[in-house]
Amino acid sequence: MISLTDFLVVSAVLFCIGLYMVVSKHNAIQILIGIELMLNAAILNLVAFGKYDLFNNAGQMFALFAIVLAAATTAVALAIILNVYRQYKTIDPGKVDQLKD
Amino acid sequence: MKDFLNAIDTLTIHFTLAAVLMPLLAFIINISFPTKWNKVSGWVSTIAILTSAVLSAFVFAKVWNSHEVHQSQLWFTIGDTKVQAGILLNNLSVLMLLLVNLIALPVHIYSTAYMKDDESYNRYFAYLSFFCFSMLALVVADNLVLFYIFWELVGFSSYLLIGFWYKRHKAIVANKKAFIMNRIGDMGLLIAIIILFAQYHTFDIAQLFADKGLIFQSIIKNGVWTAPSAHLPAIWQYLACGGIFLGVAAKSAQFPLHTWLPDAMEGPTSISALIHAATMVAAGVFLLGRVYPMFNDAELTILAVIGCFTAFMAATIALTQNDLKRILAYSTISQLGFMIMAMGIGAYASSLFHLVTHAFFKCLLFLVAGIVIHQMAHIRDDNGLDIDPQNIQNMGGLRKKLPFTFAAALVGALALAALPLTSGFLSKDGILVQAFAWTENRNVVLRLVPIFAVLTSWLTVFYIARVIVKVFFGELRVAQLSPGLKIDVSDGGLLYKVPLFLLAACCFFPLFSLNPFSYDASWVYKGFPGISDDTGFAIVLPGVINIGGLLIIYFSYAIYTGKRANPFPQQGALFNLACNEWYFDDIYNKIIVKPLVILSRATFWFDRRVIDGFVSVLARAGIALSKLSSWFDRHIIDGFLNLLVAIVRGIGNFARRFQGGKVQYYLFSMLVVILILFILKTLV
Amino acid sequence: MSLAQVLFYIMSFISLASALFVASTKNLVRSIFMFFITLFALAGLYVLALADFVAITQIVIYVGGILVLILFAFMLSGKETLNAITQQRKAFISLRKIPAILLAALFLIVLVNMIFKVDANNLAWIRRSIEARNDITPSSAMTENIGVSLMTNYLLPFEAISILLMIALVGAAHLSRKGARP
Repeated sequence: MISLTDFLVVSAVLFCIGLYMVVSKHNAIQILIGIELMLNAAILNLVAFGKYDLFNNAGQMFALFAIVLAAATTAVALAIILNVYRQYKTIDPGKVDQLKD
Repeated sequence: MKDFLNAIDTLTIHFTLAAVLMPLLAFIINISFPTKWNKVSGWVSTIAILTSAVLSAFVFAKVWNSHEVHQSQLWFTIGDTKVQAGILLNNLSVLMLLLVNLIALPVHIYSTAYMKDDESYNRYFAYLSFFCFSMLALVVADNLVLFYIFWELVGFSSYLLIGFWYKRHKAIVANKKAFIMNRIGDMGLLIAIIILFAQYHTFDIAQLFADKGLIFQSIIKNGVWTAPSAHLPAIWQYLACGGIFLGVAAKSAQFPLHTWLPDAMEGPTSISALIHAATMVAAGVFLLGRVYPMFNDAELTILAVIGCFTAFMAATIALTQNDLKRILAYSTISQLGFMIMAMGIGAYASSLFHLVTHAFFKCLLFLVAGIVIHQMAHIRDDNGLDIDPQNIQNMGGLRKKLPFTFAAALVGALALAALPLTSGFLSKDGILVQAFAWTENRNVVLRLVPIFAVLTSWLTVFYIARVIVKVFFGELRVAQLSPGLKIDVSDGGLLYKVPLFLLAACCFFPLFSLNPFSYDASWVYKGFPGISDDTGFAIVLPGVINIGGLLIIYFSYAIYTGKRANPFPQQGALFNLACNEWYFDDIYNKIIVKPLVILSRATFWFDRRVIDGFVSVLARAGIALSKLSSWFDRHIIDGFLNLLVAIVRGIGNFARRFQGGKVQYYLFSMLVVILILFILKTLV
Repeated sequence: MSLAQVLFYIMSFISLASALFVASTKNLVRSIFMFFITLFALAGLYVLALADFVAITQIVIYVGGILVLILFAFMLSGKETLNAITQQRKAFISLRKIPAILLAALFLIVLVNMIFKVDANNLAWIRRSIEARNDITPSSAMTENIGVSLMTNYLLPFEAISILLMIALVGAAHLSRKGARP
């Protein structure tokens, strides 16, 4: 049987990769991908733990909710990226540091 | 009645004040005018002096032989002493007031023509008016301090006018010399004034020198000089007299301070006529007249000897000079010597009488000299010659070319030679007669004084005859040397002729006395306290002197027109002595000027090397010290501050990065904090 | 070693490797398509965790929705971005990346350390759940179970999330509308 620890380790590695992307990338889209990776790591955790909850099924339910939320987040984030690009002609968040127009 | 008299006096004072201030007004107008309105200035000054002359004539008529007019008001207060300033009018001052104006008026008129081609025409008239103002104020001042101020101003305007052509090196040297010589005299006068103040606590001339004034009341006894209010050792009285004599000697060009006057002829000739012949140089004699009561018998004797010596010395020098103006300058010194001598022998009235007559004829002679020099310069410029226009060796025969000038010169020369019917005869013979009278009951050496005076008088006749003959008789020597010259000379216009005529008219006896042979009948003489002479000299002496004079005139005419061989050696010790002006300049240069120059060079060296060196060492030390402190400041103190700044800036930069608007950096730092918390939680 | 375990390791490897590639590549396009693979591998891992419905949802929503959205965003953000991205420096580990790598590595160490410390397999509630037969077995009918749970226990979150989703979609549509902004 696949042990819970294995899932947790995979999800931890995945999370750290996402983290790395979020911190280091200069492109909003890649950062978004990093966020998605981190979300997926979290969903993997939920799913792995949800295996021990047959009746309430909370893990899988919240995994589903999280996926839906991720979709919503992505939609809004992409809209924001488009707007930022329209405003600043770049999507490097490091260069978008001005409050004024 | 008394009020009426007071009112008249006040009016007189006001007229005097106006007369004094008119030239000052002219001076101010002239210096305010732009240079291009040049020609106006001459008339401004002339009108001012004309007004002044009219006013002073009125004042003269009021005061002469009438009562003394003295008005003053508080000037300033030192301690308990109230110093009054005002105007003192008595016979002496009104005579001088009128004389100065009467001489200045023709000179002004003459100058408008004489200086018309000069580019500094208005500066000339500004200076001239300034001089007139100072001189007029000098003669009416009632107070020794005021007197001293105007004494200085007179000297200063003389300095300005000698150096009028300031681009000529000789003029600059001459005015420097005149200035320094006068300074020595001024120092003496100042010392005398201070001593008098210490003794009498007043500067007021009327109080000090009036009949039965303070000076009259003080006596010298047993080496103590006692005044009504104080007493001092007698030496101070001698010092005061010596100081006044120095002042007189410098201003009136007496031995030993006479050498500036010949050099002062570097100024314009009209200036020489007014200042260095007639008025300013007479200021010394005027001063003597003011302070006359101060001198006791011994001091007067010294004055007489010095005056006589100066007169004789200057006359001998005048014999050998060739520069027209220099001859006249030495003649002036000689005549001033006569006046001083007359003061010394107690011939107070004669001295002032001679001052007045001398002023007219010497001024006349100088103006004539000015015309002659102008015409010679004219000949030189027309023909491109290289001659000195003032040298009488180049002149001759001008009698026919300049008839009017010749006539004026002849009148002036006759007056100077003191021939009968002239004013000079009256005044000079008065001096000579009184000199002989004075020597009675005195020792042998002093008996030489009148003899030398008579000799001098003959020498005077000779040198003036030489000048007249050389300039006006014979043939023009320049033309003889280089024939074919274009000679186009004339007497000049009315502006030249009128002053000459006026002055020449003043050289004859009727102006001064109705009796042409008796000096004591003259009104000027009667205006002053004189000594009565009942000796026989008055009858015999003038005859002897004048017969001698006539012989000398004929003699010199014969010599210088070439009718007779010249019996005098043109070299030899005596000739050289006279020709080199008795070596006074050389002696002064060797004894005083050179050591002074050496001393000043030494002190200059000392100053440059030692004091400046010390100062510069100090300066270097200061610079080194300041460099050190600057280094310290730059590197230690500033370094410390810079370190602080760097730390603060580092902190600021560090902190700023958290607020740089970089989202990822925010996230990064947040994660770092979380991580640290995790690690700490795990480890602790 | 059972087949499930082998599959798990394969899936884990694929997902991690592809994730690493996504993180390290300079090419955004490749990165996006590699992310596609990562998501598929993760869906496989969900299956291995006995959550087949979640796996399907993952594929449908992520691969079918989110990835397409990202591709749209990439294409809409223009040519300049693409050029800028291709011109990035070639060095694999640039100096600027070191802090991020360090941070990620440290996080990984901390997390792994914690996971091993916790010993998830022997947690009390998991033991109780196994004893009470409350764990999911491959034979469990999970889809039906999820459907029932959604309509009963999790009705409120379900409705809330659906409203949220609608708001997000409307908002996104509003945000990305061109011009005419107040």
